[in-house]
Amino acid sequence: MADHLVVEHLTKVYERGDVIALDDISFSVKKDEFLVLIGLSGSGKSTLLRCINRLIEPTAGKVYFDGIDVTAASSRELRQLRRRMAMIFQQFNLVKRSSVLTNVLSGRLGYVNPWLSAAHQFPPSEIKMAMANLERVGIPEQAYKRADELSGGQQQRVGIARALMQTPELLMADEPVSALDPATSHSVMQYLEVMNKEDGVTVIASLHFLSLARRYGTRILALKDGKIVYEGLPSEIDEARFKEIYGEEAEQVEVH
Amino acid sequence: MAKRPSRLKSTRANSLPALLGAIRPRLFAFLLDWTSWGYVAYAVMFLINRYWFVRYVNFYGTLTLPTWGWPLVVLSTLELVVLSHAFGHSIGLSLFGLKLLTYSHRFPTAWDRISRYLWWHAAVLLLPVSLWRSGRECFLLHDVRSKTCMVPLAEVKDELPVTRPRPWYLTNRGLMAVALIGLTFWVGWQATQINLERLFSRAPKSAYLWKALVTPDFKHLAMPDPELKDSIMGGMLESIFMALLATIFGGLIAFPLSFLGARNIMGFSPLGWLIFTLARAFFNIFRSIESILWAVVFAVWVGFGPFAGVLALTIHTIAALGKLYSEQVESIDPGPLEAIAATGARRWQVVLYGVIPQIIPSYLAFSLYRWDINVRMSTVIALVGGGGIGRILFYYKGQVGRLSNAWNQVGAVVVAIVAVIWLLDYISGRVREKII
Repeated sequence: MADHLVVEHLTKVYERGDVIALDDISFSVKKDEFLVLIGLSGSGKSTLLRCINRLIEPTAGKVYFDGIDVTAASSRELRQLRRRMAMIFQQFNLVKRSSVLTNVLSGRLGYVNPWLSAAHQFPPSEIKMAMANLERVGIPEQAYKRADELSGGQQQRVGIARALMQTPELLMADEPVSALDPATSHSVMQYLEVMNKEDGVTVIASLHFLSLARRYGTRILALKDGKIVYEGLPSEIDEARFKEIYGEEAEQVEVH
Repeated sequence: MAKRPSRLKSTRANSLPALLGAIRPRLFAFLLDWTSWGYVAYAVMFLINRYWFVRYVNFYGTLTLPTWGWPLVVLSTLELVVLSHAFGHSIGLSLFGLKLLTYSHRFPTAWDRISRYLWWHAAVLLLPVSLWRSGRECFLLHDVRSKTCMVPLAEVKDELPVTRPRPWYLTNRGLMAVALIGLTFWVGWQATQINLERLFSRAPKSAYLWKALVTPDFKHLAMPDPELKDSIMGGMLESIFMALLATIFGGLIAFPLSFLGARNIMGFSPLGWLIFTLARAFFNIFRSIESILWAVVFAVWVGFGPFAGVLALTIHTIAALGKLYSEQVESIDPGPLEAIAATGARRWQVVLYGVIPQIIPSYLAFSLYRWDINVRMSTVIALVGGGGIGRILFYYKGQVGRLSNAWNQVGAVVVAIVAVIWLLDYISGRVREKII
């Protein structure tokens, strides 16, 4: 199958402090893959995800999404591309004072009539779609509550509903379950799995727990100090590989 | 013992901005110390003149020096800075986190320090040349000759021997601070001609005034004074409405401007930087001009009366709220903005859906608070013809000598002002509690 996302020699240097966050990263993701990024905090996982949709501007290298050069896109083209790649976040990144419904609808801002959106108006079809997506993540009854009234797991589901509004082809999840307890983690991960398997959305998720990576990932990419140190199947990560990625002192922690 | 290798960063700063960035802490520490020594010199000269001889103080009590005096002060303070830097103790060095160490990160010997101090005089002449030739911050002439360098403390913290920290007032910084504050207090006391003896001995002279003020005369509280054609309540209402309209106009204009004055919205492009700087400069300049001065301008422009007062208060409100608002915009959670930008939204949609919901409550709170301040300010604006309660206040004050109960009437106006301000303060405080 064709490569859905191709990353070539991607490098990010933070000017302040001369930190090399990403050091010549190259990989590709096939359609329908569930790629899991693992690595210690500060290994560059978040930066990598943000460089793909250029929330962070990469210093060098290329990103091709569906054959289109993302790194060369104009701001207008970039917006078109971003609509097709959704993103969910560790801290959910909801607008806390806005209602759940508004948060979900904001996933549609790239599609709707900008003049209507300026007046905070959405067509009934969009609102129907938002309600359907909230239904899909199991919290339709929360639609009119303020986002910060919800529990962590519910907030992440709002994040997923917002991503669903984009009808994305690629979903990037930046440590989507790090702020959640183990039981909630699995329920959130299962939504990602459903999107991957049923909707055919390519998923790239960074995860902290290797057990989650093994359970959900079809392929694993391990980063260390901004470099790829392992690329392969989840089942192939043994004790030696684990120590190589996480350092000698690390112990495996299971999430059941 | 093995010879420790040189740990100096050998990276070459390859452009002028990079080089200036690298030597910036050294430069800033130097300028700060020069300023502080200059200040000490000024204070010392002031006190010497005050106490011992008046030769260099002119008729108005201002310090003047003979022509050779100022270069002498400049040069001697410069020497003091260089000396204190060579011996590694100064406010600037500690504020910018610099430490004088040898190339191998040891403490310099006394000889190193003296040599650094002496070589500095040659280095300063060659500064542009050596910067240009070497392109490195630690390769100035006096660095090279004394084999020492100003190293950022953060880089070497782990290598320096651990010592038990002294109490703050025994550190160099603490002693310096205490000395500077003491000196400032001494000079300030002299400069403002504080006279405690007079404060107490002349107190009885003001007794009649106090007596009148605490027995206010509320005759014209609601009933208009026939001569003034207005009552205290009328003036008070005028003030409250002036303040309200100024707050509304000011808030409405400050709202869009506040985004221009927020770093996180304007980004780091040259154009964004320019607009940000202009907006912030506008806020700072207009905020530092008191509304009473604006009232003078507008009283001439549109004539005496409350309208001039509203305009004066509006200008000041725009600047003050603009600054407060932009700081609010800067302190918002960036996460939602990132999330909304990632959906493919336009920049202004990100502001509309991500920024505004986060700032509305604090905007309302600040605006209410500003209304409070504007009512208070509107009392003095009348001094220059700005209208409001101040007009009544200064009218009665002007009647002292003509009316026997003028001070009692002033007392009544003061009581009314205090009551209204207190009430407004209380209400706005409660409302702010609710919305934040």
